[in-house]
Parts: sequence; C-alpha cells; structure tokens
Amino acid sequence: MVLWMLMLAFAGLTAALGLDLWSHPAQRPSIPLVDASFLSNATARVSAADLVKSGGDTSGLECYTCHDKKETVKLTFDTNGGIVLPKEHIDIAGTNSEGAFMPMAHGRNDRNNNCFNCHNETNLETLQTRDGRELKITESPQLCGSCHGPTYRDWEAGVHGRTSGYWDRALGPIDRKVCTSCHNPHAPKFQPWKPAPRPHALHPVMAGVGQEEKPH
Amino acid sequence: MIKGARNYFTFLRRCARIAFVGDWRYYAWMGVLSIIVLVGINAYARQFVNGLIVTGMSDQVSWGVYIANFTFIVGVAAAAAMLVIPVYIYDNKELHDLVIFGELLAVAAILMCLAFVAVDLGRPDRFWHLIPGIGEFNFPHSMLSWDVIVLNGYLLLNVHICGYLLYCRYRGRTPAKWFYIPFVFIAIGWAISIHTVTAFLYVGLGGRPFWNSSIVGPRFIASAFTAGPALIILALQVIRRVANYQIADKALLTLRSIVQVSMLINVFLLVNEVFKEFYSGTMHVASSEYLFFGLHGHHALVPWIWTAIVFNLVAMFILVLPLSHSLKWLNAACLLAIVGIWIEKGMGLVVPGFIPTQLGEMVEYTPSVNETLVCLGIWAFGLLCYTVFLRMSIPILQGQLCQANEQAGARAAGH
Amino acid sequence: MSEPVSRPNGHPSGAAGHEGMDRRSFLRTSAVLASGMAALAASLAPLRNLRDFPSMERFLQKHYKELTPPEMRKVLDRITREVETQYGLRPEVRDYKPMDGVEFVYCLNLTRCIGCRKCVHACVAENNQSRDPEIQYIRVLRMPHGSLDLEKSDPNYAPDTVPEKGFFYMPVQCQQCKKPPCVKVCPVRATWQQADGITVIDYDWCIGCRYCEAACPYFARRFNWTRPWIPKDRINLNMSYLGNRPRRQGVMEKCHFCIQRTRAGRYPACLEVCPAGARKFGNILDPESEVSYIMKNKRVFIQLKEEVGTSPRFFYYFDV
Repeated sequence: MVLWMLMLAFAGLTAALGLDLWSHPAQRPSIPLVDASFLSNATARVSAADLVKSGGDTSGLECYTCHDKKETVKLTFDTNGGIVLPKEHIDIAGTNSEGAFMPMAHGRNDRNNNCFNCHNETNLETLQTRDGRELKITESPQLCGSCHGPTYRDWEAGVHGRTSGYWDRALGPIDRKVCTSCHNPHAPKFQPWKPAPRPHALHPVMAGVGQEEKPH
Repeated sequence: MIKGARNYFTFLRRCARIAFVGDWRYYAWMGVLSIIVLVGINAYARQFVNGLIVTGMSDQVSWGVYIANFTFIVGVAAAAAMLVIPVYIYDNKELHDLVIFGELLAVAAILMCLAFVAVDLGRPDRFWHLIPGIGEFNFPHSMLSWDVIVLNGYLLLNVHICGYLLYCRYRGRTPAKWFYIPFVFIAIGWAISIHTVTAFLYVGLGGRPFWNSSIVGPRFIASAFTAGPALIILALQVIRRVANYQIADKALLTLRSIVQVSMLINVFLLVNEVFKEFYSGTMHVASSEYLFFGLHGHHALVPWIWTAIVFNLVAMFILVLPLSHSLKWLNAACLLAIVGIWIEKGMGLVVPGFIPTQLGEMVEYTPSVNETLVCLGIWAFGLLCYTVFLRMSIPILQGQLCQANEQAGARAAGH
Repeated sequence: MSEPVSRPNGHPSGAAGHEGMDRRSFLRTSAVLASGMAALAASLAPLRNLRDFPSMERFLQKHYKELTPPEMRKVLDRITREVETQYGLRPEVRDYKPMDGVEFVYCLNLTRCIGCRKCVHACVAENNQSRDPEIQYIRVLRMPHGSLDLEKSDPNYAPDTVPEKGFFYMPVQCQQCKKPPCVKVCPVRATWQQADGITVIDYDWCIGCRYCEAACPYFARRFNWTRPWIPKDRINLNMSYLGNRPRRQGVMEKCHFCIQRTRAGRYPACLEVCPAGARKFGNILDPESEVSYIMKNKRVFIQLKEEVGTSPRFFYYFDV
C-alpha cells in the first residue's frame, strides 16, 4: 500500500521537476555599459606645448595677428577691482556647466588680477616671471613653479600631475604632462566632475538598493 | 583468506539487502527522505549549471547557510563520539552498545559535512587539487587543509570502529581489543580536534575582528557538546520506539548530565562574549552590534539571535532543574537547545562575520529558495544514511542478523 | 517491526523451490524503483544546460608552478583558441614573469582623489572583468573629513558632481600585502606571491572555496558567481596568464597591478586614467622612482588596517 503511494509520489515528483515549477532565479536588472568617456586617458585640456608638438592650429598663440606691436594693452578693471575680460578673450577662463563664460579666477582675494603678472606686456607672445625672466609659452611650467614651489618640485619628481607610459625608462619613454594640460591658467581650479555610476550589487534587493541613503 | 573475504562480502550483501526491507513506516520515512533528497539534487544541478549566483551569497557575504550548516554538523559529529568517553574511560557498561549508535551518527554527520563543503565549492570538478601528493595541499599553513585531514581521518576512524565491532558481533566473535580500543581513544582526542580545527578556520582570520577572538574555540566545543548529545538523546528514544531496542533510561540521563554541564558552560561563554563586545565600546564591535541590535537600519538577524538566546536559556533552566529527569521535559529542553545552537552557530556566527564588510559596507544575506532546497536535501541525505546505518546495525546488535542464520536467511531470500 | 525477510525486492527468483517472490510483489517493487529512477533523472535534468564542462586537458592541467615551458605554451595556445572561439577576436596571451630587482609599491594621494571612479572602469576595461554581473576590483570609498573609521565609509555615493564638500575619497584595491592572509589560507595554493610583490591567482587551479575572500581584510578579492560576461567590443586582447585573460565561473580574481602592463615596464591602467594624477606607482627598490620620492618626502602616509599585520604595499598619503 505504502509502496503504491511511494510510486505515485515519485511519479508526481518527476512531473513537477520536469515542469520546472520552482527555483527560478530572480531577474536581475541588466547593467548598462559605462560611458566610454570614463575610459578615456585624454587630459582635460591641450597645453600649448602639446599643441605645437601635435601640429595643431596654433593661430590662437600668435598674438600680433590682432594686437599692434607699437600699442600697449590697456587693462580694464571693474568696481570691485576684478579684471574685466575683453570680448575677444571672453572665453579664456572657460565655461561653467550651464555654458556661461567664467570670469578670471587665478588667485584668491584679487592677488593675481593683472594679466601682466604672467604675460609679458612688451612681447605678448611670451611670458614673464616676477624676477624678470622671459619664457616661451611652451615653457610655462617654470612660470607656474616660480610661485607654486612645492607643487613644482613634486611635478619635477613626477609626483604631481599625470604620467603615462613606462615606469621602467629602460623599456620605453615616460610621458609627462605639463601644468596647462590639466589646469586652465586663467582658472586653474578643477571644475566638479560627473562621477561614474555607483557599483551594482549582485543581489540588488539585499543590498538595499532603492532605499533612501541612510545617514551614517 | 578467500573464505574470510567471502564471509565479509556476504555480510555486506546482507546488510545492503536489509536496508531495502522494512514495515510501512520505514518505507514512508525513507520515501519522504528520498523525495527531499531528489529535490535537493535538482536544486544542486541548477547551481552547478548557473553558478553560485543562485544562492543568496555575494562578494560581501561570501559564506552562507552551506558553511553555517557545515559548522553545526561538525559539532554534532564531534560530540557523537562523546558517548565514547563514559563508556571507555568510566567503564559504563550501560552505554556500551549505544556507542555504536553515536559513532554511526558521527559517520552520517561527517558525510553531511563533506556534502555541505562540496556544494559550496565554485569548482567542485577541481576537487582533486586538494589531494596531498597529487594536487597542491597547503598544509600546514591553511586551516582548511587541516580540516580536510581531520574530517576524513575522523570518518575513517569511526567507520573502522563501528564496522569492526558490528562485523565481530555478526560473526559472533569477541572483538580483539588491540584492534579497536586504541582507535577509540584516538577518536576521543580526534573528535575534539575536528571541531577545534573548524573553529580555527574562523579564529585565524585577523581581518575579521568578530571571529578573531580566542573565545570562538571554547564556544564551539561547549555548544557542540550540548547539541550533539541532545540530538543523540532524541535519536535514542526514536530507536527505542521504532526498533524495539532496549535502551535504559539511565543511559539517557547520563547523556542529560553532559548536555546540562555543556549548556551551562555555553551560556557562561556567551555572557563573556557579550561583555567583552559591549562594555569596552571599541570600534571593532560593529558585527556584534549588527547581530544583537541592528546597525545602520539593517536588523535582519536580530530576531533570530534573541530567539536563540531565549531557547538556550530556557533549555538551560529546564536542564538544571530536576524537572528534566522526566523525559517529556528533557526532550523539550533538548529540542530547544538544538534549535538555539543551530541558529547561534549558523546565523549567529558565520553571517555576522561578514556584516559589515571589511570596508564598512552593510549588505545583508538571505538564503535563496534554491540554497534552502540544497540544504534540506543534504539534511535528508544525512538522515537517510543514519536510518540505513541503524537499519543494518540494530538487527546485528540484537542477534537477528548473524553468521549463524546466514543459511536460513539465504533460504528465505530465495537463493 | 521489520517484516520477515521473505519479500526481498528487485531480484527475480532464480533458484529452485522455496518462497521466492511472487509476480505481484516483483511488479510492485520494480514499479517503485522505476519511478524512483525516473525522478532521479528528472532531478538531474538541469544538467542538460551545462556549458563549459572542462575537457580532459583542462581537467588534468597542472598548477602554474609545475608547468614546463612547452606545457605553458600549449596552455597559452589553448586559451588563445578559446578566446577566439568565444569572442571572434585573436588575443595575444603571454606569461609575464616578474622582473629582477623590482618590488612594486603603489602610492595614492588622498589630497587629489576626486572620487570620479574613472580608475574603477579603466581597470574593468583593461582586465576583462565581467560587466554583468559586475566585478570591479577597485572600490572607491567616500569618507567624511576627520575620520578614517571605515564604518563611516560609503561606496555607493552618486552625487551630480564630485568632489563633494566635507568628504574625501579613498579607492581601495588589493594591497599586495607583504604578509598576505589570502595566500596563507588557500587550501590548494592557487594564490601566491611572486618576487616583485604581486599576489597572483592561477585561475585554472582555484577550487572556488572563497576562504581567501573571507580572509582578506580589504575586500579586495572577487568571485565569479556565474559565467562572466564581457562585451566583444571592449575586450582587451593583450592578455597574461596570471592576469587579465578571461576567467570562468566559480573562480576568484583580484587586482594584480595590471601584470600585462607593469611587467612590460608600463604603468597600470588605473594610474593612467586618473584625471587628478592621484595615483603613483613604481619600483621601490629604485631610489629615483616616484614612489621612492614619495616615501622619502611626504610626511603623512597610512597603510590601511596596519594593525592587522599584513604590511600592505599600498600607501595613502597627503600633500604637504
């Protein structure tokens, strides 16, 4: 009697297993591929040195196409003492996230609000340091380092800023970036970035995804 | 020699045959267990194909109910050999035959342990990498390698002792003391070692402060020696009822005293642990806080651990009172103790070690349906093995299955 | 209790005489057995979907340290074929050995990290990690100013822009410890440390027990919970045996300092992509390297969880 029931039970189990009635794994939401911009090694800007090396359009560095060699440039200041960018150079400090042009922003408390702190008023295509050295535009790191000493020393050692290429110089060249590859000299502070998405949990429900971020 | 081998094969064949014979209750029990085992096999097949993603584990909580059950069952296996101590050290004759039941439980338990570990592996097809000499066996550095040695050694020890004693009884011979007594004494020490090595798996991890504590080893032994004999007390009463096997109440009460003392030690160690975690208030208590009170809004384990503590305390009180001399109360206490310790060792030890993660992240864990079915399948498999072992050994011990009636048995079997 | 042994099952009566088995009980027991076998077959049915069952060659493959050069050549060829079959593209798979006189150290400047997570994704792309389910070796933690309490960390921050005021960001990946607990606990020696300090994994030897994942104090190790998925158009074909060749279901993986790049003298992918230049890497045994400069000149640096005794080769520092 029991054996018949057993047989029925086994037969029922066979059917149930065959019909695959349970234990279907929960559908996980598919994870989108990350945007390719997060994989890019490109620097935020192209420095003058890189521009020259790559043979790009250097017309922006030829100041005397517009300026007159005989005339001195007059700087305009606003009522707060901040420098006013002329309309031809309105874009030199970059744009903010809404697309509006930013004002000059190198140095706090108006410490550095004079173009000719860095640019040479007698030769607009060169730069000058405070101790009177004249530098080519492609030699700008020395100008930056003339004020930003500790950072410059770190940069020389390879510890500030970006490096790529070979750590083993015997096997290949190292590729050092200069200051202006990352920093806009007229507004050196980095703008905030959009970060890549947060990590995706293996079991979203158990990681509490979808709940409000709890304060720690 | 050939005759000896032939005798042995006849013995094995008769044992195997008798496992398929029984009354309706036997068939019903074995049938239900077989069904659960088959459902478990199916669940494991899905896991084998799709990977361990079908469980509830993740990188944050990378061990779950498989290892939790493994830890609990190793304790049961260790404690099953506890019966050996009163018999052979204190020369308690009443428990003599019961030692075999205890050791058979140990064998079934070790088989369950091996099953739980096997289903937890990501690549079980590479099991041979663990074999010393053929694979790369990281002994003595890895505690898992120690565990492999002690568990398999314990299995062999118990199979030898039981097998030898049962075969001698079958043949009607007195067993030669030198062939099993030394192994019995080795088994006593080895039983403690299997559970200590399992404890050391956890204790040795400096990166997990919840586990990296010297109290884990003693707590393992204390809780194992509570739950193991408690299980045996219940199992013996079932055997007594179902198999009409004479088991004196005195044997059960001897086991009761083991459970009683071990439970007291277990609760004392719990108090120690709780004090150390919460009084000093250092930063390392995050896992304990999560377990007992919840942390940062996550509190899945809190009801479980408090249930376990209540069960353990109630069991302890019942055991301490003379009330537990009555079998009804003793059984209740045993059941509470087993469930309480199962929760404590499983969800109360393995899972909180992972929450929060090493970097402070809180990801909780719930076993999936598939995972649970695999666990049930392995538990059913263990019970199936133990039932088969008992089905074979009880007639031998009672004298119904012996060499003397081989011919009669053969005649009845239609040879 | 038990019935007398007069109704055995399964075996038709052969010898002459005596009770034997009658046809009814034979049919009954056979029926039970047959239905049991059918249930067993049905329970094993999911196995028909099994892909990637190892060939005999793969099953018997020896541990990395025991492979002779010709055997390694065969293994690399096999991996090349497998990748070509699966992705339709031919990779270059090599076995990069550690360089002499080199011990790698990684330094990360916490003043500079802005938490953009570009390093996470550059690593994923370079090292052929599974995109679904997601495996990421680097975990960027957002920490509040004033505390190194990891309990206060948050890896799941998702603001509109970073960095956020009042927080600093700390990426964590394998620290390539001098005393690695993962190496100590692996039961089959599938993970070990090589001479240049990188702790490597032989993906074809790992049994997937995840003891190393439990032992690691830094949440550095990852497990393949199912078959990994790499999009064909983003696979990196420059592969190494111990590094970034595609892994299988059921094995561990982790950051290996981009073996295929660093042992060829190049910087790891996470370093090259960092827009803030926060990451520095090199040979600590070379006094002219950037990392030697940092260790000599920067005043504050921390090793995560120094008290655990792992002696990581990963140093966090602050400028000035």
